[in-house]
Amino acid sequence: MLFSSTEFLFRFLPVFMILYLSVPEKYRNLVLLSGSLIFYGVGEPYYVLLLIFSVLVNYGIGRLIFTKEKKTAKIVLILSLVYNFGVLFLFKYWDFVAEDLNRLLSGEKIPILSLTLPLGISFYTFQIVSYLLDCYRGKIKEEPSLTAFAAYVAMFPQLIAGPIVKYEEVARRMKERRIRIRAIESGLKLFSIGLAFKVLLANQIGTLWNHIMTAGAGNLSAPAAWMGAFAYSFQIYFDFWGYSLMAKGLGRMLGFRIPKNFNDPYASRSISDFWRRWHITLGRWFREYLYIPLGGNRKGFWRTLFNLFLVWTLTGIWHGAGNNFALWGFSFFVLIAVEKRGFGKWLEHTKVAGHLYVMLLIPVTWVIFAIDDMRQLGHYLQNMAGIHANGAIVGGTQVLRYLKEYGVLFIFCILFATPYPMKFYQKHKYKWYTVLVIVMIFWLSVYEIMMGSNNPFLYFRF
Amino acid sequence: MKKKIKKIVHNCPYITALLGTWLFLTAGGIALLIYRGHGEHDPKTFWEHPFFAVIMEQEIHGSAGSASKVEAAMAGADRPEKSDGDQNIDKITKVTLDETGDGPSGIRQTGNVREKEADPDRAEPDTEPGLVREKQVRGRTIFATYTPVETHSIYYTDVGEVALTTDYPYTTVGEDYFEDAAFIGDSRTLGISDYSGLDADFYCENGMTIYKMFDEKGIVYQKSGEKVNLLEALQQKKYGKIYIMLGMNELGYRDTNYFMEKYKEIIEQIRALQPQGIIYVMANLHVSEQKNNNETEFNNININAKNDAAAKLADGVQVFYLDCNPLFTDDNGFLKADLTFDGVHLYADSYTVWKTFLMEHGVIRQEDGKAEKKS
Repeated sequence: MLFSSTEFLFRFLPVFMILYLSVPEKYRNLVLLSGSLIFYGVGEPYYVLLLIFSVLVNYGIGRLIFTKEKKTAKIVLILSLVYNFGVLFLFKYWDFVAEDLNRLLSGEKIPILSLTLPLGISFYTFQIVSYLLDCYRGKIKEEPSLTAFAAYVAMFPQLIAGPIVKYEEVARRMKERRIRIRAIESGLKLFSIGLAFKVLLANQIGTLWNHIMTAGAGNLSAPAAWMGAFAYSFQIYFDFWGYSLMAKGLGRMLGFRIPKNFNDPYASRSISDFWRRWHITLGRWFREYLYIPLGGNRKGFWRTLFNLFLVWTLTGIWHGAGNNFALWGFSFFVLIAVEKRGFGKWLEHTKVAGHLYVMLLIPVTWVIFAIDDMRQLGHYLQNMAGIHANGAIVGGTQVLRYLKEYGVLFIFCILFATPYPMKFYQKHKYKWYTVLVIVMIFWLSVYEIMMGSNNPFLYFRF
Repeated sequence: MKKKIKKIVHNCPYITALLGTWLFLTAGGIALLIYRGHGEHDPKTFWEHPFFAVIMEQEIHGSAGSASKVEAAMAGADRPEKSDGDQNIDKITKVTLDETGDGPSGIRQTGNVREKEADPDRAEPDTEPGLVREKQVRGRTIFATYTPVETHSIYYTDVGEVALTTDYPYTTVGEDYFEDAAFIGDSRTLGISDYSGLDADFYCENGMTIYKMFDEKGIVYQKSGEKVNLLEALQQKKYGKIYIMLGMNELGYRDTNYFMEKYKEIIEQIRALQPQGIIYVMANLHVSEQKNNNETEFNNININAKNDAAAKLADGVQVFYLDCNPLFTDDNGFLKADLTFDGVHLYADSYTVWKTFLMEHGVIRQEDGKAEKKS
């Protein structure tokens, strides 16, 4: 079930909220857990069993880490990491590695499994691992009940696409939480804003990206290629930020505080700065559970370089099993390593240069992210650079037409990529006109969802 | 109690406003339903979002002018994942295979279209002397048959035959041939308009269907970028040739019989308006193997059914059927993966291939007074 579907908005959410609010407090975790499993099970009727199994196994592991002395706990921890990452590897990376190895060995030596990826497995695996590591480090003072732990892992607001919440962030609320009607109010507002970002901005600008890719990466003139890159940059930002806002809003409605995942990333002035503001909970995960334990930047130049390399390559392939994702992560390693040598400081101090640098480089990285076919990717990047091997059929006429069709949307996207609209919202969120505007954009979003879902050929509409 | 409600409203204006508007829209939707007085609504859409269901159907499936209320009511059931247990199923006459299935059967694999017979249309025209020597040559559309597979859809059945390009001694023409040509179609025709370099009058837009092409809302005339009324446009300007390619966005709306009836009406209308014009009915391009989905209506069996229906309208005198699929599909009839991003539309550079194909398939009438150039 997607947040941006009528099933969720008009069936699941109202029914769930009524149930959640009407049961006594001690049953709320149970209602949350069952609701989340239904939410997940509707889309993944089989893999919901895998989720339940993972929760049970890891709860048991957590208990062992809690009760055994340090030495045993360490062995248990290592085994649990092998299990959790092993499952993730099996579903997400097996085929990718097997194909590469088979090519290397020139034969069908390793079987291809063709498993479909369980929804949200990358997210909940990371969340579970953070719990286990925090247990081991003694950061979690009190062992949660099974229901509380299961509700923490499966909580529907963040189960599928994050944010990656740490247990200590919800521990207190898991034990007791008062539901305040004002929190529901403000959570719902936040949710509606997120929904609008997803439906009214991301989906719309996404059609331009599709349009441009449909014409073919090899046929683009440089302006068309750049236009596509910008369109995709906005699409992925509002898609993901919208989702995170929806999660945060839902969390608030349920009485939790889900951490912020985005902090105006496109307003940053260096790539390092960008990653402090983009998908914050993932960056935090890699920093706290990998980079710093490896020694961070305290063990000399070469070790720092290696640590950065490892963190960024893994960040890349966390997003997907593909050469382009590895390349994408690697490009961040290079950029951030260069910035660490002082370039980043300079960028962050010179306003214009920093912004320009981010605005030109980030779209290029998103193109690498978006195109998983390496040949197509090559064509696209070439065309961005103005080297047109194929005649650039998609030229001036099309670019002008795209501008005419998407110009206004671009302006909105640029506006909402700046910090100002949300600042305005924070200041005026209790005013009647803000409420009115959000009601309007909510129904506008619903209208757009209806247009899409009622017409099976949305994909055809270009 | 009153005080409590007042407090809630005061504290939560947004929730109040949202529930209020929701209630209002629902009530409005029900009122509209009663007012319009037909109970054929999909009950699922009804309780979920009645207002939108009522309003949107006509927005989406267009044809506010031409579609009957029954059609409007059915539009709600068009979502592909919900085609099971549809209440409308009994109202739709299924295409029976007996109507079409004669001749030897070819090979049929699921989702594949393969012509087992020799392709008569790809033979040189001169190899059929009987046809060429006649003064008024009449084209012939040949249907290659195969064993159909069983389908379970209210939208289509496997027709068990593939229409081939109308057999006719076509002339290879120059680009000037298209100066008095009109193209009517959906996003794929838009692709021809954008990328083939042909200079003609293109009436096309994304999501266009045969059901809405003559709507008063109009269709985008690419030379001006404005919507025009196609009926009026065809009344005002005489075209030497009219190329039409539609059927993709119709895949999930009613069945093939209905599609064919409507298509026939459209062709009749065009004929009446353009008695001198040659009408080229173009086959809809198949989709790629990745995009092909036999669980939905979105597959080459259905596309072939629509193409087959359209091809039956070709009389070989004024109306000709052109199948460009052999140019772009693999042995199994799937659109080649390296020619497409989304499995549906060709990359921009492939449209020149299409153009060449069209230029090789020119029909030139004797009475036009033009010199006939033989290829």
